[in-house]
Amino acid sequence: MTDSKLHLPMAELLALRDGDRSEPAFAAAAHHLDRCTACRDELDALHQRTARLRALGGVAPSSDQLVRFQDHLNLRQIRRRRIISLVGMAAAAMLVLGVVGRNLMVPSTLDAEQRIASAISDSQQLEQTLRNWAPDSRVMDGRTALVVIEIEDRIAAVDARLQAVARLQRKERLDHEVSLWQERVGLMNALVDVHLTKANNVDL
Amino acid sequence: MTTKVLTMDAMTIPDADAVIARAKRGDPVALEQLYRAYSPPVYNLARRICRTTEDAEDVLQETFFEVCRSIRNYRGDGSLWGWIRTVASSKALMRLRRNKYRDTDELVDDIAPAKPASHLLRMDLESALERLGDTARAVVWLHDVEGFTHEEIGSQMGKTASFSKSQLARAHSRLRGWLGEGALS
Repeated sequence: MTDSKLHLPMAELLALRDGDRSEPAFAAAAHHLDRCTACRDELDALHQRTARLRALGGVAPSSDQLVRFQDHLNLRQIRRRRIISLVGMAAAAMLVLGVVGRNLMVPSTLDAEQRIASAISDSQQLEQTLRNWAPDSRVMDGRTALVVIEIEDRIAAVDARLQAVARLQRKERLDHEVSLWQERVGLMNALVDVHLTKANNVDL
Repeated sequence: MTTKVLTMDAMTIPDADAVIARAKRGDPVALEQLYRAYSPPVYNLARRICRTTEDAEDVLQETFFEVCRSIRNYRGDGSLWGWIRTVASSKALMRLRRNKYRDTDELVDDIAPAKPASHLLRMDLESALERLGDTARAVVWLHDVEGFTHEEIGSQMGKTASFSKSQLARAHSRLRGWLGEGALS
C-alpha cells in the first residue's frame, strides 16, 4: 500500500501496531500514515480494540475441576506407592535368592496376608476416588460407556472368584486371594482412568 | 539465599523455586499449589479458544495432567507461566482440531457465516469474538491477548506464520465491521 489516495489494509495496520518490520510494505505504510488522518484514526481504533480484548473479563473454572485434579493426584500417589512397593518386593526377592537359596522363595503366609492387605487398601482408595468423582452424574460418550461396562463386568467376575476361593483351605486361599486382589486393583485403576480422562483405549 | 516469588497477574506462589522443585519430585501438595495458582488463566485461555465449557474443562485437566507428567522437563529457562501457557494452548488447539475433524469442518476458512451487515446492529466485543470462527478466534486470542508470536501460533497449528497473520487480519476486519468501528466505516 503506497498510494496515498487509498487506505491501509488491515494486514498493514496490524504490522504498524505490532512494529512488525518483516512486513514488506512496513516502511511505505508508515510513510502513508504520516499523511493520512483516516488511517491514523483507524490505527487508533485498532489499538483501542486490542486494549478492550485484553480487558475482557476472565472466566474461572468451577470448584469441581479442583476435585477432579485432586483425584488425579491421589491416583498418581497410589500408583507411585505400588511401584515403590513392587520394586521393594523385587529387591527383597533378589536378596533372598542370592543369600539363602531357592527354597525360601516361596512366599510365607505372613507375606501373602500383607500383600492382600495392601491390595485391599489400594482398592478401597480407588473406590473412594471414584465416589468423589461421582461418575453417575456425568455424561460420557457411548464408546467410553462400553469400556466402563466391560471393566465393571470384569471387577464383578473377580469379586465372584474371591467369594468362591473363601471356601478353600487357608494356604491355598491366600495364594489365590493375592492374585485376585492385585487383579482387582489393576481393574479399578483402569476404571478410574477411564472416568477421569474419558480415555477409551486403556490397556487391560 | 533469596526467595523467588512467581508472579502471574494477581497469582503469586511464594517460594516458587521450592514449590517447583517439590513438584518435580511428584509432591501432590506442590502440584496442587501450581494448579491453584495457574488454573484460572489456563481455564480462561481454554474457554476463549474452545466453544463449550465442557471442552474448556477437559483442556484444563489435560493441561495439568501434562504439567504433572512433564514438569521435570521444565528447565526454568523461561517463566513457568510461559511454559504452562504453551501446554494449554497446544491442548486447546488440539481439541479444536479434534472437533473440526469430527464435524468435518474446514480449518482454513472457518469464520462463522456472516449475517447481512447493518450499522444499526452493533455487537459488543464479547459477542463479536464468539462469532468469529474457531481458528480466527484462537489466533486473535493467542496473539493479541496471550502474546504468542505468529511463528509460535503457526507452528502450534501446523501452519505458517503467514497463515496466522492473514487469519488475524481477516478477523480484525470482521470485528471492526461487526463493532461498527473505524474511521473508514
